[in-house]
Amino acid sequence: MPKRRDILAIVLIVLPWTLLITVWHQSAIAPLLAIRKGTNDGTETRHDTGPATDSKEYCSQDKDIVEVVRTEYVYTRPPPWSDVLSTIHVITPTYSRPVQKAELTRLANTFLHVPNLHWILVEDSQRRTPLVTRLLRETGLNYTHLNVETPRNYKLRGDTRDPRIPRGTMQRNLALRWLRETFNSNSSQAGIVYFADDDNTYSLELFEEMRSTRKVSVWPVAFVGGLRYESPKVNAAGKVYGWKTVFDPHRPFAIDMAGFAINLRLILFKPQAYFKLRGVKGGYQESSLLRELVTLNDLEPKAANCTKILVWHTRTEKPVLVNEGKKGFTDPNVEI
Amino acid sequence: MRMRLKLKTVFVLYFMVSLLGLIYALMQLGQRCDCRDHAKSKDQQISQLRGELQKLQEHIKTSQLSKKTDVPRIYVITPTYARLVQKAELTRLSHTFLHVPQLHWIVVEDAPQPTPLVTDFLAASGLTYTHLYKLTPKDRKLQEGDPSWLKPRGAEQRNEGLHWLREMGAAAKGKEAAALEEAVVYFADDDNTYSLQLFEEMRYTYRVSVWPVGLVGGMKFERPVVEDGKVVRFHTGWRPNRPFPIDMAGFAVSLRLILTNPQARFDGDAQMGFLESSFLQHLVTMDDLEPKADLCTKVLVWHTRTEKPKMKREDALQKQGLGSDPDVEV
Repeated sequence: MPKRRDILAIVLIVLPWTLLITVWHQSAIAPLLAIRKGTNDGTETRHDTGPATDSKEYCSQDKDIVEVVRTEYVYTRPPPWSDVLSTIHVITPTYSRPVQKAELTRLANTFLHVPNLHWILVEDSQRRTPLVTRLLRETGLNYTHLNVETPRNYKLRGDTRDPRIPRGTMQRNLALRWLRETFNSNSSQAGIVYFADDDNTYSLELFEEMRSTRKVSVWPVAFVGGLRYESPKVNAAGKVYGWKTVFDPHRPFAIDMAGFAINLRLILFKPQAYFKLRGVKGGYQESSLLRELVTLNDLEPKAANCTKILVWHTRTEKPVLVNEGKKGFTDPNVEI
Repeated sequence: MRMRLKLKTVFVLYFMVSLLGLIYALMQLGQRCDCRDHAKSKDQQISQLRGELQKLQEHIKTSQLSKKTDVPRIYVITPTYARLVQKAELTRLSHTFLHVPQLHWIVVEDAPQPTPLVTDFLAASGLTYTHLYKLTPKDRKLQEGDPSWLKPRGAEQRNEGLHWLREMGAAAKGKEAAALEEAVVYFADDDNTYSLQLFEEMRYTYRVSVWPVGLVGGMKFERPVVEDGKVVRFHTGWRPNRPFPIDMAGFAVSLRLILTNPQARFDGDAQMGFLESSFLQHLVTMDDLEPKADLCTKVLVWHTRTEKPKMKREDALQKQGLGSDPDVEV
């Protein structure tokens, strides 16, 4: 009998403590639980280098506030995500130089008009720079920020006379690899892959033309090859049979990087297809990828059977910074 | 005896339990909470819903703002001239302007009459615009081979834009006249790069507002130097003794000031670098300048320049009569 009373007493003593602990556990942990996960049209940041996961893993009360905190200045946002339109994955290699922020700013201003656009920005750097990180976050675009540094002996040395080292190749290949690792062939959402350099000019119509790509679509590009524009040659049946260029028109694909788009399914279907890194003659970089994916016959001409110019291969002048002098005249902390 | 023993055990028990509880609590505080276990929890749902709600609220705000008519209007005057990259420049410029509410684009062509390229382009742009033209007299025009800095460019075209604004201002009545009281005028060249934030900085200008400009004057950026909220001098690497050593992209003027100073215009014969001063010195003193962009510490506009595309092969083909189809607009 006393034993039972003991047990009863012990139970009565322990019970309030366990209750206390459980209640405390519930109420203390719960508010820490609100994680803001990127939903379908939120910003998706994937980190390719380093295991560093950012503060998303930390549960803190602030995370339930939408991370896209807009200042009163940014009135715009990308158009709402549509379940019907195919996603356009735009791959842009970029590198640090004085005009970088300007180029990316005006590129972003264009992309903000395109529905279902996913911008894959790949920096040619050892680490993702704060400039680009901040810029991407402030635009509100759906983006993925990657980086890979081109080894010094591959980098272009000042002038562009050495054609064996095409710029941006490693960055584009990294983006292709990311796409292959992220999407599987059974993925239902249709996707188009487009390589957009950060100094070109793109019309909004271009993105709508490329959305219907089944395999690889092509169109004219202005200001390439020393001409007003280069264009694929399209016959009466609507098939591409050649290239209207002066510079080596006998290349397998005599087309500029900005002149074609590839269906994501094709990229996933041929996982070995990448841009060739070494031993590529000037102007053959695009061919090194396309010949592994498609034949001339399969190309789909767009832009009114390749008669309209919807993309311009503009190049920005290198700004003259003579007055900076050796020590730098302006405050280095101000970001340009 | 038993009673005392019981009390001891009671105390020991209490001590053990509370000690365990304390250790558990301390461990919990230090660690990342393994939130994945609670993935299906109600709390995540709530935060997701909250996020969606906020997004929807933002969306409403945005769509309201873009139709908002009670923010001051910005008149952007852009001189332009026909060259290969013209359509490309105007295209990407329009993409930026489309994001700015209450923007009225005044495009002034350096041409004897409006060109079809610009006419069609503006009609399809989706922007509110006014299409003007004014031919630069031959002696003031840059010739082929002249360096770009030899003669000031765009003066006649900007003056034409000002003229149109003054005519419109004189004819406006009632609500429209009231709207013009708060409007701002900005001179935007077609090859520069503008951030969206810049337009919100300039929107509320009483007289003349100023801010830094990137990649100009041979430096990373030029800027007004602000002390105690006032502009005291200009940080520039080239001829800082000009009355206003500031680039065309670095200031905005209130429309009211322009309408009340009908004599203020750009002097096409001004010395190199003095074009902006020739206009501003009629309107304002340095003391009255309103510094924007975080007291002129942020760069929100860049003086980018686009390379002239190489046309060697095109020229060679043209000589043979095999040039590219001129009907295809570039």
